[in-house]
Amino acid sequence: MTHTLNRRGLSEDRQGEEIIVLCMAHRGQKAEKAEAMQKIAETVLKYKPENVIGRPLGLNDETIETMAPMTGVVTAVFTNKKDVERLVDEIKQKRLGISVVLSGLFSDIRDICRCTGLKEHTYHMSLGIFGKTDRVPDEKTLEITTQCGHSLISPSLVEAVLKKMRKEKLSPEEGARMLVKPCACGIGNTKRIEKILREMV
Amino acid sequence: MYIDQELCKKCLDCIPVCPMGAIRLQKKIVTIDYETCVECGVCYRFEICPEGAIKQVDEIPYPRIIRAVFSDPVQRHEATGVQGRGTEEMKTNDVTNLFQRGKVGFSIELGRPVGGAYLRDLEKVLKKVTSMGVEFAGDNPVYHLITDHTTGALRPEILGEKVLSAIVEVLVPEQQAMDFIREMKRFLNSELDCVVTMSVISRADSEGGSRFMEQLRRHGESIYPNGKVNIGMALVGEES
Repeated sequence: MTHTLNRRGLSEDRQGEEIIVLCMAHRGQKAEKAEAMQKIAETVLKYKPENVIGRPLGLNDETIETMAPMTGVVTAVFTNKKDVERLVDEIKQKRLGISVVLSGLFSDIRDICRCTGLKEHTYHMSLGIFGKTDRVPDEKTLEITTQCGHSLISPSLVEAVLKKMRKEKLSPEEGARMLVKPCACGIGNTKRIEKILREMV
Repeated sequence: MYIDQELCKKCLDCIPVCPMGAIRLQKKIVTIDYETCVECGVCYRFEICPEGAIKQVDEIPYPRIIRAVFSDPVQRHEATGVQGRGTEEMKTNDVTNLFQRGKVGFSIELGRPVGGAYLRDLEKVLKKVTSMGVEFAGDNPVYHLITDHTTGALRPEILGEKVLSAIVEVLVPEQQAMDFIREMKRFLNSELDCVVTMSVISRADSEGGSRFMEQLRRHGESIYPNGKVNIGMALVGEES
């Protein structure tokens, strides 16, 4: 899951617009970290993320908490840096031994680390898109489709949503909810997609 | 995946949902093109069809099953036990220490962010990096598909299979990393029939900064302002 790495459209001009939190138990420790993963899910959900793993599949919070020890992973989208600072700090205080990856502007991540007394451990940076780049959709569409790291949001679905919006059959909020649905990991940012749709329509 | 023609009302709402463009209206029948479909399961999970006409076959045969394993994030890779693209890469590096100082990790992901990729293109990349003498990250499902580690060749029967994406993960000594980037960019842009992303994984320095990010910028690489950072949380208990 290089999932969030190649997201487009984030800018230093809009700090804190989007931070994705991923918590993962190493597969060799999944059994011993089952309880810790359940606590992670409870803690993450307490901060009311914009989206969370399993939600696009229709799972409720209780099921997400039950599933976390089995899958060993929790992902959630936040649109408020202060919430992430508090969440990271709470996870730190609990000393659960679970890996946490933050995805967003490197400057935002640095701020969160400094605020919580943590240091960046490992960086993952995109060098861009190569190969048959003429097949890549326009930049605005890409800002939406790259919100699923597994490329499950189809550019055609973006176009279909825009078409319905133009005919006033779909609101931007409904359109955004439809577009995050293919991404089972729950890393689509409905708030940001809604904003992009308004710009595109 | 297939469409039950007795249930399909031809509303066409399912067509844009497919990330591969495999659902088509042909001769007044909505069908899933078997060759284009990568078995990602989105059309089924999306519940776009009110008639329930989109169906999954009971069992996908080998080698086609590889499509589902590499395309459907709900599937788990048997070789690594990890869902999604089947690799934990840097996400648990504070536990595994797979990516250490002095080495740079490279993820070369074929098929993303659009279009998918045939495994024959994956084999081209594997053969290229093998010829460059780099170290493979073993805990990756692609690594387990290689039949000849001296050449990077894959099982011949899977080369015609198409997947949403597949990741090649290798480790390169830091002093050779810039040359590796230059050569791989040339190769990826000239030899592949798909879209591909390339990314680097680098251990932070003792103060949490990234010396390698600075090096990339000095060499003119346009790094995105965003990315992923493992913040060492798994080590917090150990430090106490």
